[in-house]
Amino acid sequence: MLDLRDCFKYFAERQGDAVVITSAGVTSGTWWRTTHDMDQTFYLGASMSMISMFGAGIAMGAPNLPVWVFMGDGAFAMNPGMLMVERDLDLPNLKHFLVSNRVYNATSAARLANAKRNDYAGIARAVGIERVFEIDSLEALHAQFDKIVKAPGHTFTVLEVEPLREKPGGVPLDDAESKFRFGRYIERKAGIKIFRHPALEPLLR
Amino acid sequence: MSDKQQEATSLIVEKIAQAGIKLVASLPDDWIAPLIFAIDKDDRFKHVPVNREESAIGLCSGAYFGGVPALALMGASGLTTCIYGITKINYSFHIPLFLFATLRGVIGDPRPHHISNGLYLTKLLDSISLPYLIVEEQKTISRIPDAFKHCIAMNRPEVVIFSEAVLRGEA
Repeated sequence: MLDLRDCFKYFAERQGDAVVITSAGVTSGTWWRTTHDMDQTFYLGASMSMISMFGAGIAMGAPNLPVWVFMGDGAFAMNPGMLMVERDLDLPNLKHFLVSNRVYNATSAARLANAKRNDYAGIARAVGIERVFEIDSLEALHAQFDKIVKAPGHTFTVLEVEPLREKPGGVPLDDAESKFRFGRYIERKAGIKIFRHPALEPLLR
Repeated sequence: MSDKQQEATSLIVEKIAQAGIKLVASLPDDWIAPLIFAIDKDDRFKHVPVNREESAIGLCSGAYFGGVPALALMGASGLTTCIYGITKINYSFHIPLFLFATLRGVIGDPRPHHISNGLYLTKLLDSISLPYLIVEEQKTISRIPDAFKHCIAMNRPEVVIFSEAVLRGEA
């Protein structure tokens, strides 16, 4: 089993230009504690099962920007059908990481439904996703990292982690500030325009 | 599809294109199915069928950060399932989101399973201060680009809600 903190440290050291979307709970809290990043990360602290769709929207508009999505398995359980849409889209810059600790770690250690038997990788393969990985140690992550992240192509990777005993806490970032810092980063890196006000456009011509 | 319905569908599609929409995420109800088919075969749009309506909220909200003008297209029932996503994602982070939905359960819609939509849809939207434009006459279709601009200017979600008669080209 992976320690989530070590796992995220490994990813953070190799993040490069990639943007990261995290789901609510220990995934967001641990990524924040690891990176203190306010620009390349969007901490989507609600509607947690939407984060891979959110990431897909970014990946479509910014095809040269790597998009990493870290989703807890509690979030995954709420919307596994998202994988059908991901497979349809098959976005080469979208990397979906499922942080599997088999419990609702943010609110308690209450177990997920059917926790021991859930085969997340199997679900992904069943909808036709071809590049599916299962990682349960840092050694395995190191061995597979380039195939998962650096090689082009949509990937779905299950990270089997131990539940955290100490909660990492929340992310002390205002939502509106997060929007603009994250968006400005994408504007700079991807060379696209996100923020504009149509009322101002005639004045700017 | 009747000629009238074809004409109404084409008019809506043209206004979507005129608004600058590039991405459409959809999940059908039967009233909007012809519109979805028309969008799907129109090269001006990337059409993404989604597994549930809330996935359209996620996808279109992310597309905002990809610089892609987007539309989430769904029925009234689907929209009511999205209130949490809309308030948590779009309200909290001030992310504009443009939606189309159907005006189900009103006088003229005899389907009993849509009674709750007739009773509560617009009241539900009012209760969360979500702006909407009801399209009950064909001439109102021309306001779609303005509704999209308003949505972007306000940094809020906005819904265009179509009656069955308009979608069938009979109003």
